[in-house]
Amino acid sequence: MTGRHAINRRTCLMGTGAALALPLLDVMSEAQDVGETSQSPPVRLGFMYMPHGVIMDQFWPSDAETFLTSPPPAIESLRPILNQCLMMKGIAGVSNGPFQGAPHALELSTWLTAALPNPDRRNEVNISISADQIAANYVGSFTPLPSLELATMPQTWKENQAGLNEAYYSHCSYRSPTQAVPAEINPRSVLNRLFQKPDDSAGNTPAIEPLDRQLLDRVLIGARDLRRTLPIGDQRKLDEYLDSVRSVERRIAAIESRQKEAAMAKAGVRTSRVKESDAPPIEIKIPEGDKRSEYMQVMCDLTILAFQTDTTRVSTYIGSTPNGVSYPELGFTDKHHSTTHHSNDPEKVRKVAAITKFNIDQFAYMVTKMADLTEGEGTLLDHCIMMWGSGLEDGDRHTRANLPFIIAGGGVGSLKTGRFLPNVKGNQGDLLTTLLDCAGVPLDRPIGIATKQIDEIKA
Amino acid sequence: MKTLDCQQHARQGRFDHSVVTLAVRCLGIALLLLHWFACPPNATSQSQDENASEDLLRDDAMQSFKTKVQPFVKKYCVDCHNTRPEAQLNLETALRNPESAASFRLWKKAVASVKVLDMPPEDASELPTDQERQDFLDSIAKLKYLASRDPGPFILRRLSKVEFGNTLHALYGVDSSLSSILPDEVVGEGYLNSISPLQSELYLGIANQVIRSVIAESGSPVTEQQERLLGNLPADPQLYRTEARKVALSLASDAYRRPPSDSELEALLSVFDLGQENQLDYMSSLALMWKAILVSPQFLFITPQPGIETDSSIVPLDDYQLASRLSYLLWSHPPDGELRALAEAGNLSDPDVLRSQVQRLLGDAKSRALFDTFGAQWLSVGGLLDQTFDPDLFPEMTPAVRSAMLEEVRWFFQSIVSENQSIFRFVDSDYTFISDEIADWYEIEKSDDASTVQRVKITDPNRGGILGMPAVLASTSFPTRSSPVNRGVWFLEQVLGEHVPPPPPDVPDLAASISGDPKKLTLRERTEMHQSDPACANCHRILDPIGFGFENFDAIGRWRTVDMDGNPVDSQGSLPSGEAFATPAELKEQLIKRKGDVARNVTAQFMAFSLGRPLESYDERVLDELMNRLAPDDYPMGTMIGEVVTSYLFTHRRISK
Repeated sequence: MTGRHAINRRTCLMGTGAALALPLLDVMSEAQDVGETSQSPPVRLGFMYMPHGVIMDQFWPSDAETFLTSPPPAIESLRPILNQCLMMKGIAGVSNGPFQGAPHALELSTWLTAALPNPDRRNEVNISISADQIAANYVGSFTPLPSLELATMPQTWKENQAGLNEAYYSHCSYRSPTQAVPAEINPRSVLNRLFQKPDDSAGNTPAIEPLDRQLLDRVLIGARDLRRTLPIGDQRKLDEYLDSVRSVERRIAAIESRQKEAAMAKAGVRTSRVKESDAPPIEIKIPEGDKRSEYMQVMCDLTILAFQTDTTRVSTYIGSTPNGVSYPELGFTDKHHSTTHHSNDPEKVRKVAAITKFNIDQFAYMVTKMADLTEGEGTLLDHCIMMWGSGLEDGDRHTRANLPFIIAGGGVGSLKTGRFLPNVKGNQGDLLTTLLDCAGVPLDRPIGIATKQIDEIKA
Repeated sequence: MKTLDCQQHARQGRFDHSVVTLAVRCLGIALLLLHWFACPPNATSQSQDENASEDLLRDDAMQSFKTKVQPFVKKYCVDCHNTRPEAQLNLETALRNPESAASFRLWKKAVASVKVLDMPPEDASELPTDQERQDFLDSIAKLKYLASRDPGPFILRRLSKVEFGNTLHALYGVDSSLSSILPDEVVGEGYLNSISPLQSELYLGIANQVIRSVIAESGSPVTEQQERLLGNLPADPQLYRTEARKVALSLASDAYRRPPSDSELEALLSVFDLGQENQLDYMSSLALMWKAILVSPQFLFITPQPGIETDSSIVPLDDYQLASRLSYLLWSHPPDGELRALAEAGNLSDPDVLRSQVQRLLGDAKSRALFDTFGAQWLSVGGLLDQTFDPDLFPEMTPAVRSAMLEEVRWFFQSIVSENQSIFRFVDSDYTFISDEIADWYEIEKSDDASTVQRVKITDPNRGGILGMPAVLASTSFPTRSSPVNRGVWFLEQVLGEHVPPPPPDVPDLAASISGDPKKLTLRERTEMHQSDPACANCHRILDPIGFGFENFDAIGRWRTVDMDGNPVDSQGSLPSGEAFATPAELKEQLIKRKGDVARNVTAQFMAFSLGRPLESYDERVLDELMNRLAPDDYPMGTMIGEVVTSYLFTHRRISK
């Protein structure tokens, strides 16, 4: 995809401070038209998170040779598609730097940023833009939603380790250094949001109406004078809001262009987005009860559906935030966090292993389902890069020398899967940089602490 | 046990240091602590300094910084506390710039650690004498005299979810729960202002709902609200735009909480034009314009009037901004008619007017909101509804009981505020508010009318005041038991306003350091193990004895004489200054001597809350003055709020730098 676009979103965003009410839409849609002539399906990027680390000897494969034949217990559920998975050991996390006392505030916030919060502004959100959002800035203009952020639990947690803003505890996506992106936790509103259904009886959907795009444009103009009066710091706050309004404008434009396309298809003008042989969109069943597995699986289904329908190409799913959720489904109610401080107590180790396996099982549910859905010449999974991981390696000792990751999907042939690489040298920024490169996202600088790409994982 | 006890330790971390011995320090501790905790440095220096001129105070502060602080820091601190990241605290920069806001925060941490003998660490080659420590602490306390007069910024602030709902209700009569679909707020120090595209979309959706519930469908008769907000259809289409301008002015004045500027009005009229150009009828075009208002930053944020140019870096808030700031602070509601009229006349910034408005607002039922925003946060009871209690051990903790517990604190807080009682009544009072759900806690007979909350007189000296309130006691508990450590921290930080240094990052496993089964030890024995580990000992020697004094209350705040293991409760506790107590009643008696500190702490907490930022160096001086004014009347709570609101800090803002 690289190089085919008239202008990319990242370029535009860099100038937003000055270009207050500039409608980017016409230029953007040109870029989009060029992009859409591409015949190969787009790469989709998905990230799924579990806090507090793993039981290492149950997670790491014993060696490269036996990876496919006798995988470690934690990833047993991935066995049917192991040849489409990739694991590598030796990816170091960001060092805690001046935040030694904040392992849990850092594990999620550094996960996709590969960077530390700004220590001088630690009580505010001030970190780097995250990898998913860098990707969304680039590929997000082609789809109705630039990115999809999901979580299993509310993102409020009243704890500020080492004086760090509470948002660091529960957010992995950062649109800009100062903006944490909140995640959707209600499957029904995700469904409505994906498909723009009219308001349901509970009024859960913001229905976008015909003139909203022009209306928002005028709202931006109306804020010009106010912005001029404000001191710099306040201008930045205002810009964040205006920027979010602008991205709604863009989204409306994307929806409008989809509608146009649908109308053309109806009139017999094929746009070749969807092939006859493609699997039909999967069905979504919203669970009635409060079983965690069902809840996580519907979130996984929503991710699949969003990718399948090209509603978005970037997703994150925070399986749980680092604050001790419990798993009654597994037959015990111990909190995740306190259990991970197991001091090698066999009972606790067993429980942590069960929790880890439970989380990987949900990931496996998602990616095996993707592997069953035909798309173009292959399957949906062939066109995805799905990353599962945690922000710590050993939750007991808060170490992050070898962060646990599992990658599934070939990224349209950009990754060489079916392998375990036991001795990779690199850090989490290197890994994210590599994955974005595989997804065709051009980078003007490395992500966070990255210094290189992990070439070994590429095809 | 380790994992439970040390969860609280996740709060903050600090430079890890290995420890060799603690014998050296034990001797001095009692004497030193007695002095520091009984007469905090602020109080002593304050009275002498009152009459001295600013210059003298500055010179003195500078002098003692040079002679007492610099040598101390150089000798005992900077070997580790330099640019090394793992030291967390870089005192080298603080030495260069002692009076800056950033340094102030560093000094605060340093003071907390030096005070409890947590720093310098035991294994340091040389430890300061008691006198050196004392001089260091006293001199740091004087640094406030170096700070320049500065109100701090008034960061552009978005309405909270609750404020937003209340505002929609107050202006348009719609249900305030419309805002409930917004994501929950993450509150840091101050405010997380960040807003996402998702949220912007939700604002659009809410705007649609507001408009739909006010404007009648075409064909049906016009609703009363609609007529009030949008007027009637002009007979002559020639008048549409003129009338639309009037409507825009009136809607925007309400929504922006100030008159809109000309260009703001023009932008709104262009939305009306947009409707007209797209063949919407007059009313629908107005509705479109209204929708633009509802998603404008001017509505969603508290903003100053545009177009006021100034060269100075500190400006007073304009009257409209002041009205909004005040009203959202005390009511979580937009300014009412009276406040807006005063702002329009330019009278609100008159301190007497402002003071009397504070009292009016506090007398109104809407000021109950202040408990949810400030009170619950100060007392750390905000999480009680969602807190985990083991259902087998504490089946009593039903949602209804938890609500009743919170209602008790809410009514109690409200009574002190609205009756302008002394701040000290928070810790020492002879009444409370009880409903049937928690009557058993007080061994009071249930009333006939189960639904009401009753104000009751209390004769049990262990109850009455926040120290014996079930909600407070339960909030500090673990799921299975009370936590003397948490209660100690809560008491020091929330009641006395002391800063407790954070625990070391890698808390050692206490269970591993003893032989035998830790489960066979009593809670006191297990907790006291903290004191056997040198890395933990110095803080826990202060925290734990306070918490033990509350042990007659179980994890959910019931009185007990036998603990969960069947042993008699051992509730011997003591304050850092040495006074022993075994019941909350005895603790309250001790606290009378600390009345000024309790009042200062509540005032400081409220001040930080009202400013939406942590207090800094100059703020300490404003606080000093304020406490001097409040002391003769025994620190009345309502008056205190009025003083904070009329202070230079609340009524001004810094706009550059």
